[in-house]
Amino acid sequence: MLAILFRAYCLSVQFIVRFVGRSVSYLVPLLAFVVAFEVFSRYVLNRPTIWAYDLSLFIFAYIAALGGAFAQQKQAHINVDILYLKVSARTRRLFNLLTYALAIYFMLVLIDISVDKLLEALKYNYRRQSEWAPHMHHFWIMMISAGGLMAAQLLAQWLEDIYALISGRELFAERESNNDEY
Amino acid sequence: MMSIEMLTAVLLVCLLVAFAFGAPVGLGLGGIAMAVGYLTWGEGIFNIIPSTIDSTYFSFILLAIPLYIYMGQLLTRSGIGDAMFNASQLIIGRVRGSLAISVIGVCSMIGAMVGIIGAGIMTSGSIALKPMLERGYDRRLALGVIMAGGGLGILIPPSVPMIMFASATQNSVGRMFIAALVPAAISIVCLALYVIISCRLNPERAPLGTGDEMKMTPKQKVLTLRDGLFSVLLIFAVLGSIISGIATPTESGAIGVIGAIILAILFKRFKLSMFRHAGFETAILISVAMWIIFGATLFSNFHLLMGVQDMVASFTQDLGLPPLGVIIMMQLIMILLGFIIDEFIIVLMCAPLFTPIAVSLGYDPIWFGILMILNIEIAVQTPPYGFALFYLKGIAPPGVTMSDIYRSVLPFIGIKLAVLILCMLVPELVLWLPNKIMG
Amino acid sequence: AAEFNWRFANLYSRGTAFGEVYQGMADNIEKMSGGRIAVKMMYADEGVSTNGIFGAVKSGLITMGAPFQPMHAGEMPAGIVEVGLPGGTADVGELMDLFYEKGFGDILDEAYASYGIQNLEPYIQPPVYIITKKPINSIEDFKGLKIRAPGAYGKFLRNLGASPVNLTWGEIYTALSTGVIDGSIGSNLIDHRDGNHVEVAKYMYRLPLAGAQVLPVIVNQKAWDQLPEDLQAVVRAATAVHAQDQLTKSRAWEAQAVSDMQAKGMEWSPEPSAADREAWKTAGAGLWDEYSKEGPFSARLIDVLKQDAN
Ligand code: NA
Ligand code: NA
Repeated sequence: MLAILFRAYCLSVQFIVRFVGRSVSYLVPLLAFVVAFEVFSRYVLNRPTIWAYDLSLFIFAYIAALGGAFAQQKQAHINVDILYLKVSARTRRLFNLLTYALAIYFMLVLIDISVDKLLEALKYNYRRQSEWAPHMHHFWIMMISAGGLMAAQLLAQWLEDIYALISGRELFAERESNNDEY
Repeated sequence: MMSIEMLTAVLLVCLLVAFAFGAPVGLGLGGIAMAVGYLTWGEGIFNIIPSTIDSTYFSFILLAIPLYIYMGQLLTRSGIGDAMFNASQLIIGRVRGSLAISVIGVCSMIGAMVGIIGAGIMTSGSIALKPMLERGYDRRLALGVIMAGGGLGILIPPSVPMIMFASATQNSVGRMFIAALVPAAISIVCLALYVIISCRLNPERAPLGTGDEMKMTPKQKVLTLRDGLFSVLLIFAVLGSIISGIATPTESGAIGVIGAIILAILFKRFKLSMFRHAGFETAILISVAMWIIFGATLFSNFHLLMGVQDMVASFTQDLGLPPLGVIIMMQLIMILLGFIIDEFIIVLMCAPLFTPIAVSLGYDPIWFGILMILNIEIAVQTPPYGFALFYLKGIAPPGVTMSDIYRSVLPFIGIKLAVLILCMLVPELVLWLPNKIMG
Repeated sequence: AAEFNWRFANLYSRGTAFGEVYQGMADNIEKMSGGRIAVKMMYADEGVSTNGIFGAVKSGLITMGAPFQPMHAGEMPAGIVEVGLPGGTADVGELMDLFYEKGFGDILDEAYASYGIQNLEPYIQPPVYIITKKPINSIEDFKGLKIRAPGAYGKFLRNLGASPVNLTWGEIYTALSTGVIDGSIGSNLIDHRDGNHVEVAKYMYRLPLAGAQVLPVIVNQKAWDQLPEDLQAVVRAATAVHAQDQLTKSRAWEAQAVSDMQAKGMEWSPEPSAADREAWKTAGAGLWDEYSKEGPFSARLIDVLKQDAN
């Protein structure tokens, strides 16, 4: 019964994280286009924009933060695997329980602070300091989502590990390949 | 309240344990900072997050990372990047190790485009790692060449750390840039010599005649040469856009992206799936790099708030060494700092602390600044903790482990250390050119 | 040990002359309080980024801060009026009058209080100047120039027909040297010297963008309320000494920076004509109504400015 619940949780998190991760990848060409447009507008039209600077930073931040959970799902985040690869699969799961817990704690702190900043941004109508002065509230909503997705993804992997450690069986009979790009 | 020496020790132990347990680097560093911070400072330390977000996610300088990675990905996935190396192999393929030398050449050009280490290594890695591995080059040689070549980004002008150094110590940026040219040239020559000698001694590290170009028809060869030529021209166009004042070094990455797309369309290599894959891969690499930068900056910001800079300052004050001994000790301190902090923070902290001391001992500040840049190049790639190492792991294919990376960089660290010592002992190598040009 | 342990973040790097002035204030607080308050100095970007100082003081991460308000224009719009909108006066007497007699100071105290921040004695730093690659002989020459100028300074330059460009500090030098931009503002003349801008652009326009800059010293409200009254008085007194210190020293350093830059080839633009001065003033006044709309405190400050102008 617990296994079914765990499985359902893991699968739905995987689905959402993958969806968000793939969606933000469409922002990458947009980012390049915005920066290129600013160069064009300044050099050719002699009319620098007031929005490209902040917009490019926002897009960059959205890709970087929201893509984090998907990178975690694909095990793309960098770790120092010197000892990690030498120990048994069981020990590795134990290590994961500790390090993922630390990472989840970090994400909870990040979410907590981002909520504070969101409320502050709404209360004081915070904006960027530039002439364009775009709002900041959406950024903190994004940060909360990024932290939430990362925490949810880490928790899913944590559950897989603890299930395997306790029951001695894999939560998913066949581990999904991590190399599926599309 | 814990003393700063004690806290530094605690942080280091936590860091080493988290690394040994295989924690994701950025999440681990951020987690440690927030956990140790909570225990020593209290809940208030969490407020360090917004300011850290401001200096990482809103840093325009770092925007070079996504733009250059994307350019690299587009070049690679459209096959134009490979064509560059295939073409080079058509021409000089009979020389053992020639591909690695072409890679050093391309890395130097990328180094001349970007001003920060991350962009240099991840772009060079995107473009040049695959061609070397596919041809059966020794994995460590290939990784080491990328690391050493990509690191040139801060030694070949323009360079953000050099601008930071010049400003913090009130020295001429132009003089710094010119002073870096001879050490950069020496580094490039030494790297190439190492590759040639190492491949002579161990021919299996750089096999001959394993590339696609061996099976090509004459028509394919012409096409490859054409594509290769155009991709080199693209690199020159990007460089040209910086030199001619069209774009800043950061923005030039976007010029490169547009150029790569146009080339792909012109050569009928543009496919929607290629375009999608490049964006997808770039997004993951950006996330990986930025979560490391964010977590690591959080870690160093916490350490700075607790006063690590005062520790370094008081340590350098009572050294009681002869002048050259002081300089050497400073180099050691910077390499040790590279253990826990990134290139910008090293300059930020050490330039104003160390340079006045060096000047009071009678040394030239520009010379000292170049030593600092050479040192940083080493510091960010010395195991176990180094941004350059993490960037390289990010760009490396699956199956490359951290020990591969650690081992691959060692000979190249030796070379860079030799260049550093050479420039330390023969200051004319640094000072001759700027004195000749600028008087 | 001290009863109160404070952290004080300022805008300048370790080893700079301005950094020493803030260090002086920190030392003064320690000395004048007989060691009951210990102040630890955080130089620029040492733990808190310079554009995070306001938020860090608000949240209490940093007890005391010397922020540069244009960096926080998005958080506290009134701060941009406080620092001095482009075209504002350079006369220190007039500024003092504005702050202490005409109500600027009280309105700002109230504004800071609404963020949970105690506002202390403000201080004056030298004005903002524009450096360009080409000489500016009349105000007409600004037309079409691409000048790195954020926020209000950008709006002002647009009123003069220039094109403001957003650029990060680390790229100004390279951008000036390659010609991406034709000029740049610096937070003051000392900043221009430290950024080595004269190496790549040598013409300094004679009229400052904002006459003089008024910068605040702020303290987290909770930390402030914890201080007994006598210590509050000590801190206030130290900030007053600091304000005086800034005024005398920054003038000397500004003069030094100018002579340093002149030695490297910097040239002042010719004396502007009366018409140019008028156009300069008009470009600035045009911003008042715009900034009035940024919030209630901005509106009240601008009202004072308007009354003062009449
Ligand atoms: Na460079
Ligand atoms: Na290191």
